[in-house]
Amino acid sequence: MNPLFSGLKREMHFACQQKALLGLWLAAFMLSSFAVLTGLAEVSHQQRTISELLMADKDERESVLAEQSDFGLAAYYTFHLTYAPPSSLAFAALGERDTYPWKHRIRMLALEGQIYETDTPNPELAQAGRVDYAFVLSFLVPLIIILLLYDIQASERKANRFDLLIATATQPEQLWLLRILVRVLTLYLCLLIPFWIATSVAGTALSSVLMTSLISLLYMAFWTALCAWIMRKDHEPPRLASTLMGIWLLLCAIIPVGGHLLIKQGVDGPNGGDVVLLQREAVNDAWDIPQQKTMDDFVTTHPEWKNHVEMKSLFEWKWYYAMQQVGDMKAGTLSNDYHEAIKQRDKLASLVSLISPPMLVQRQLTRLAETDVKAALSYEQKVRHYHTELRHFYYPLLFEGQAFHVETLNNLPQFASN
Amino acid sequence: MKIALNIVREEWRYWMRSKLAVSVLFISVILSCASVVVTVFNIQTATHERTHLQEKAHDTFLSQPDRHPHRMVHYGHYLFRTPSPLAALDPGVDAYTGTSIFLEGHRQNSAMFSQQQQSAGLTRFVSLTPAFVIQAFAPLLLILIGYSVMTREKESRTLDNLLVQGLNPLTLLTAKVIALFLAGVLVLLPLMLGSLLTFFWGESLSMILSFWLAYLLYIGIWCLLIALVSCFVKQGNTSFGLSIGLWITLCILLPRISSSTAGAMVEAQGKLLSDFAVIQQMRKLGDGHNAADPAFEQLKKNVLAQYDADNIEELPINFRGVVAKHSEAQLTDVLNKFAEERMQSEVNQATVARLFGWLSPVVAIRTVSHTLAGSGLETHHRFLREAEKTRFNFVQSLNDVHAEKLTYSDDVNRNSSEEAGRRARVSSDNWQVLQDFSFSPDAPAQRFNKSIASFVQLMGWFLALFLTCLSAGRKLI
Repeated sequence: MNPLFSGLKREMHFACQQKALLGLWLAAFMLSSFAVLTGLAEVSHQQRTISELLMADKDERESVLAEQSDFGLAAYYTFHLTYAPPSSLAFAALGERDTYPWKHRIRMLALEGQIYETDTPNPELAQAGRVDYAFVLSFLVPLIIILLLYDIQASERKANRFDLLIATATQPEQLWLLRILVRVLTLYLCLLIPFWIATSVAGTALSSVLMTSLISLLYMAFWTALCAWIMRKDHEPPRLASTLMGIWLLLCAIIPVGGHLLIKQGVDGPNGGDVVLLQREAVNDAWDIPQQKTMDDFVTTHPEWKNHVEMKSLFEWKWYYAMQQVGDMKAGTLSNDYHEAIKQRDKLASLVSLISPPMLVQRQLTRLAETDVKAALSYEQKVRHYHTELRHFYYPLLFEGQAFHVETLNNLPQFASN
Repeated sequence: MKIALNIVREEWRYWMRSKLAVSVLFISVILSCASVVVTVFNIQTATHERTHLQEKAHDTFLSQPDRHPHRMVHYGHYLFRTPSPLAALDPGVDAYTGTSIFLEGHRQNSAMFSQQQQSAGLTRFVSLTPAFVIQAFAPLLLILIGYSVMTREKESRTLDNLLVQGLNPLTLLTAKVIALFLAGVLVLLPLMLGSLLTFFWGESLSMILSFWLAYLLYIGIWCLLIALVSCFVKQGNTSFGLSIGLWITLCILLPRISSSTAGAMVEAQGKLLSDFAVIQQMRKLGDGHNAADPAFEQLKKNVLAQYDADNIEELPINFRGVVAKHSEAQLTDVLNKFAEERMQSEVNQATVARLFGWLSPVVAIRTVSHTLAGSGLETHHRFLREAEKTRFNFVQSLNDVHAEKLTYSDDVNRNSSEEAGRRARVSSDNWQVLQDFSFSPDAPAQRFNKSIASFVQLMGWFLALFLTCLSAGRKLI
């Protein structure tokens, strides 16, 4: 028999007689199962919400449109659902979807007044945080590895078998290596088996599954190597473990929090509230200034309508929507700065994560699962794009003063979620 | 008594000689101090900023020019939630809820711009608030220095000597627990001093003392737990592994498991979805902008009868303003009904999550802490309710102005000419209807009452462990 294989088999046999090891493996398996199960439940809740919203949104729009008699009112009263469906890996890394919006109902009024509305879930639950696979892997697995390995040599010394083992083993190094491998690889399987089963339920793409499995393997290898390196010293096991826990605290807590404080001080973006306030003032002031002024501002960015801006009465819808567009334009720079600040913070956070492997894993997984800040911003970009399409659809109808036919609205642009 | 003090002193002398114990204590105290300084500073800045924004929003509203009153209903107003004094030590849900809310007619907006959106995800796992440092990390410190309080005596065979010399085992155990407790208090000290500071920002002394009591109980629970583990096993190695396992389960896992479970068990409908139900009900109520809506036929009859008029032109008040007020009131009833349902489902979720306090003292202390501090879910709900009250008041006051200070004919003809448009405005003096808004959490007695359920959980933990310690102390012999 292959000596490596027989060695593994022997070590596995020893390991299975130790209650503490079995307990840790079982705990890891249960944790991983709990994490993927609640993750799947959350994702299916999100999907259900989206499909209910889609139905309600369609019914609502149809019944509203049926009552309209001109395009201005139709644009005022019809809302359009936009959403970002959870990806097939989202169950494993729920990410930022509880802080950033992933669904909006928007209409053709100024977008800056609508896009920051967040349908936040229960803040108390969000504050406690959820258990998802990414959390188990990046935060807890290092602790489990430490517990699995910290007394691997010392326990033999305590049992007075250490010298005997070293003397009888052909290659003592290989003996410890095998023992570590058995403990960590079994842990790997305990974590990944529930995950793999869940991916088949969620229909995750093979590439994502492989990437996640690879990230998990590399990350666990990192902690195993770190443990082995610290343990080469002949100290009392609790002292070794305390050192390891210190490193864990540094990488998982102190570096991220320190980075957060630095980023907060370093990146000075505008207050979100200011964007909304500016937009509100711009739109409201438009009622008190000459209408021609608003139209002039509007034409600077939409020159194609410059021959259609004269007003026949004191209130016309084309002026009303031009005023909304101008409101967005006036808040545009500030809004842009606001988003640049978010991007800047995210970029700096990615730099911080380079010296904090747990954060790096977290970021990689949320990127794969499209639940990170980037994904949230790209959803927002899609909403902006769609809102522009809506404007392009209505402007000819309003500025050219086309006669109202309800059928025209059958061609309303549709939001495409992907 | 003297013996017990001696043991306490010896334990501390042992720690002071151990490089590990000294560095762990040192790091913990630094961490604890840093968290207090940083959080107090942050929350103070936030308080000033939001108070300032609130004044600014108020002034901007008052300084609006003469306008049609309904324009001001849509112009709206902003409210900012200022943190409570004790939130400087436990900010609670502050970072996870929006801190400002836009109030306007016909709508209830949700709060916008949570700070968590600004953190770029780095504080997902850990936040540097004094509350979190004590709740999650103080137990780890106590384990690292205290896992061997009893096993050490067993392994070095000094336990038998001590007992043979006539030392009461219970005295030994009590002294060890006290030594450990003092270490815990050392780390807790920055939080306790920081909370004293909030007295000068208007927090009541009874709240501060309850806050102290809760945290002291919590530290006590962990000291008892660690000493017990150390008592029951023979080897330091095992007691270390077991204590760390307990810490991972109680401090890191169970709080999150509680929220995952609550989220999966109690489904809360998002605002977007419940808005559809609101819209359906509102459609039956009629559009308040359109006084000719058939839904207001009955109202019209009543008003005409009340003023003994034949048609709305004859009324001494502006019927359009009457309709606006009437429909706002009806609509607000509907909105409030759904808002209350939504808040109730959040409370239901929180109730399930808080039941885990029986399984983990961390869940219990967390609830006690942010309830006492006035930074929890209930306080946020209180803010939403007060914001709604403010919204309803200013909208209805403006509708009164609409009905009483603007004639019906001026109102309907407002778009006929520029001059008519000017006639359909009212003086900006009327914007004074806006009330000053300053948010404060529940009164101390109410906060204390709300925290009782979780206080009982903490007491339960403490008593159970205390009694086990008593019996364990006797069995040592």
